[in-house]
Amino acid sequence: MATMDVAVAPRLRRRARTSGTRRRLPLPSKIAAAVIALLLLAAVFAPLLTSQSPTVGVLGDRLLAPGSSGHLLGTDGQGRDIFTRLVYGARPSLLTGMIPVAVAGLIGTAFGLIAGLGKPLLHSSVMRFLDVFYAFPAVLLAIAIAAALGSGSSNAIIALSVILIPPIARVSEAETGRLRNADFMEAARASGSSWSALAFRQVLPNIAPAVVVYCTALIGLSIVYSAGLSYLGLGIAPPTAEWGLMISDLQQYMFTTPSLLIAPALAIVVASVAFNVLGDGLGNYLNVRSEIA
Amino acid sequence: MKRGMLLTDNRPVTSGGTSPAVPDQPSPQTSGRGTLMVRELSTTFRSSGREIRAVRSVSFEVHPGRTLVLLGESGSGKSVTARALMRLHGPRAVIQGDVTLGEVDLLGVDDATMRGIRGARVALVPQDPSAALDPLRRVGGQITEVLRLHDVVPDKAAARTRAIELLGQVGIPDPERAFRSYPHELSGGMRQRVVIAMGISCDPEVIIADEPTTALDVTVQAQILDLFAELQRRLDTALLMVTHDVGVAADIADEVAVMYAGSIVETGPAREVLERPRHPYTQALLAAIPTPDVARGELVAIAGSPPMAGEDFPGCAFAGRCPFVQDSCRTSPPPLVVVESGHLAACPVINPVTATTPVVGPSTESTR
Amino acid sequence: MISFLLRRLLAAVPILIGVSIVVFITIKIIPGDPVASLLGPTSTPEARAALESRLGLDQPLPVQYLQWVWHLLQGDLGTSISKQTQVLGLVLDAFWNTLILTAFAAILAFAMGIALGAVAALRRGKAVAALGNAIALISISLPQYSVGLLLIIYIATGTGLLPTAGMYDAIGGGGWGDLFRHIILPGVTAALVPAGIIARMFRTTVIDVMSMDFIDALRARGMSERRILLHAFHNTTPTLLTIAGLQLGYLLGGVVFVETVFSWPGIGLLVFQSIAQRDLPVIQAGVIVSALAFVVINLVVDALHATIDPRMRAHS
Ligand SMILES: Nc1ncnc2c1ncn2[C@@H]1O[C@H](COP(=O)(O)OP(=O)(O)OP(=O)(O)O)[C@@H](O)[C@H]1O
Ligand code: SF4
Ligand SMILES: [Mg+2]
Repeated sequence: MATMDVAVAPRLRRRARTSGTRRRLPLPSKIAAAVIALLLLAAVFAPLLTSQSPTVGVLGDRLLAPGSSGHLLGTDGQGRDIFTRLVYGARPSLLTGMIPVAVAGLIGTAFGLIAGLGKPLLHSSVMRFLDVFYAFPAVLLAIAIAAALGSGSSNAIIALSVILIPPIARVSEAETGRLRNADFMEAARASGSSWSALAFRQVLPNIAPAVVVYCTALIGLSIVYSAGLSYLGLGIAPPTAEWGLMISDLQQYMFTTPSLLIAPALAIVVASVAFNVLGDGLGNYLNVRSEIA
Repeated sequence: MKRGMLLTDNRPVTSGGTSPAVPDQPSPQTSGRGTLMVRELSTTFRSSGREIRAVRSVSFEVHPGRTLVLLGESGSGKSVTARALMRLHGPRAVIQGDVTLGEVDLLGVDDATMRGIRGARVALVPQDPSAALDPLRRVGGQITEVLRLHDVVPDKAAARTRAIELLGQVGIPDPERAFRSYPHELSGGMRQRVVIAMGISCDPEVIIADEPTTALDVTVQAQILDLFAELQRRLDTALLMVTHDVGVAADIADEVAVMYAGSIVETGPAREVLERPRHPYTQALLAAIPTPDVARGELVAIAGSPPMAGEDFPGCAFAGRCPFVQDSCRTSPPPLVVVESGHLAACPVINPVTATTPVVGPSTESTR
Repeated sequence: MISFLLRRLLAAVPILIGVSIVVFITIKIIPGDPVASLLGPTSTPEARAALESRLGLDQPLPVQYLQWVWHLLQGDLGTSISKQTQVLGLVLDAFWNTLILTAFAAILAFAMGIALGAVAALRRGKAVAALGNAIALISISLPQYSVGLLLIIYIATGTGLLPTAGMYDAIGGGGWGDLFRHIILPGVTAALVPAGIIARMFRTTVIDVMSMDFIDALRARGMSERRILLHAFHNTTPTLLTIAGLQLGYLLGGVVFVETVFSWPGIGLLVFQSIAQRDLPVIQAGVIVSALAFVVINLVVDALHATIDPRMRAHS
């Protein structure tokens, strides 16, 4: 009986809701969610959407402009169909964008919990440790790590995870800090809850909305960065189809057949905008502020 | 807390011959300064299709040199009333009624004229002094800005001299130094004095003080109240003091108007109202004098709670909590009944309307 | 004020130590045996051991770190593998060009961000505000390499008005006018994301400040709305400075893509060229110099912050 009140942590409300009016996911966010779903479906069912090969081209069909028969978006310098490469490219492009956020989300949240619930000394050590990473321009640090490890998608994922941990940890720490002195936390501590019970049962459910919203928006950023690393030659290696790689490959025809570049360039924009819009709407819906800084 | 006890101070509470809420009585005009007259003032907030009637047809007067205390618990509409007088509510608020200061129709004049009146003829001393000052600017500059804004001083040097003089007047020990200070360098009491100095800087006819002592320590509270009393005597201003604290009312009021759920339920000379309350709500309020461990504005002794904001009720707002409630209370708004000369209470049940007790009219109008 | 700055300077020291450790780690995580790769596969074990001890690689890691920092402090950031010159000179030359681009982009980003954010905050509930919010949200999502390429295709080659690459014209170039023509497109490209972020943060700041009690108090003192806005804007400056500190860091990092796309001869382009050649000392030097610049920028921002906000000087 005594521990019953500890088992269920109340969901704290942030700003008082304007009475009566239930918040709804705004329309742009619903559209964004639909776009993301479509992209994911395309990634999974790529072989069903096209019968051509993403890696082997027809040399006779090189550099066809968009709209050519059988090649909606044209072909690249090796005669590969750009639409096919775009669809197959969704898989690595989205994955290398989402995995770092997932990894950093777990580690960053843990850092935030440890710092937020720990004794002052622990708290300040964790935060100073994170400050060090804030002293680097994030993209450059990712490039340095990826370059040191050598190209390849897993190395790019590691590099991106490292730079995404500090901001997520800060959000998690800030949210945890707001709960530290809440009544139900006092009650839980008084009833002798262990540290882990406190962290997982009381704090985690309450900070989850903010962290999830933040991470959703970060996926947009992460997709841009991971494609960027491939663009610079640090991500997935050719001939795999990937959006960033496609851009760096098609860039050489920029002055002769510029229209080829549009599809991969837009694909990244669309994916990134979709995740940011979804994150923004989720933030409104769950009543948390999300800000990428 | 001592102030909870009624009328413990030595200052005589003048029960002025004027009754603040009775219309058609000649109001005394001392020293050519205007009287603030409020007639059937209502304020309704419109938000997302809902209407919140925060103030429901209140009437009162504040005369030069006198103090009217607007007393009521949290959410009763005191601040909304005070701000409505100065037209400080945004476009979402619908304000009805008449407010005049001397000859000026405060609800009728154009925006530019109103800006010239705010701060110059009607000053507001807000609840939280710490929040009322610009944190990034020195105190002195903020005072001289008001002086220059309303053209009360010819030049910068005169503004500085006057500001320092004002800081001295409100009892700040080292005015020169305070002039150069940033708000965060001053204590809460000193900050409140600075805000009061800004309030009196243009020699206003009316000062509206919205719970000016709530954010302060108990000892400082008493000092600030004394300061108000002294300044008012010296400057001959009309003072409208908003408070939830019965002690403050007993300390400083000439007249008291008790607010409940947006209406004035009882009004009259301070001693009359506080010693012989004639409305069940006022009676309960005085029986439940707050102690230090009762949060401000909370009335523990009265069971139940006032109507929710936005909730509409056809009859007496107090009906849900009133020990004397009758069926008739719930159907139509109770009229203000004159119980003594100048003492009115909006409860016909415990103040039976007879041939000799005139009725002033409904205190609430549910149809407007 | 001086003691405030000294304290800040002192607080930067552990950060710099941390930065050096992180960079040192990126050197140590390079896979493979550096000695073997230097000497080639046919080298004898004796030759390898000799080189190893000459480079200090047989020492324990902490010793290696201290030796590395010692060199660093003397300005020795190593030798470029591809160019066979001292890295420091290479990086410093490029750094100036990066700084020019960053400063230009920062001015653009703040101008656009503040305008967008102010509209979104002050016209809340109106269509322009929604538009402002949408523009800000989209612009933070834009990849610089995509935007840069599209600008080259449609603006530079499309109109022929602006150059597609470089910092000055090769023939008959030079001078401010030439620099200005070249900096516009990369500047805009670099500014878009920070502009969006600044707009969103500035919007919340303005809304927060406008709902502060003292704004209402100004109104009650008879001040006009225009004058109130000036006071409100003054009160957003501390937050703006904080935002500036963060965004300049973003810009310094983001220029890699912009400089690569526009062949702007800065640190970013240098880093990009070094990636293909696996010229790691150059990359590390670029990172160190940028991080150092970032720390200095934040010190300057802190100092400005303290001159604007008296509370800062008192606390911390
Ligand atoms: N801008 C507004 N929009 C909608 N409702 C409002 C607004 N301002 C005040 N109200 C409502 O009007 C009622 C009266 O509020 P008011 O601030 O006048 O109370 P008060 O008597 O000053 O109480 P307190 O002692 O807490 O200051 C409250 O129920 C409040 O919800
Ligand atoms: S009118 Fe009725 S409900 Fe209202 S105070 Fe009087 S007795 Fe009570
Ligand atoms: Mg109030």
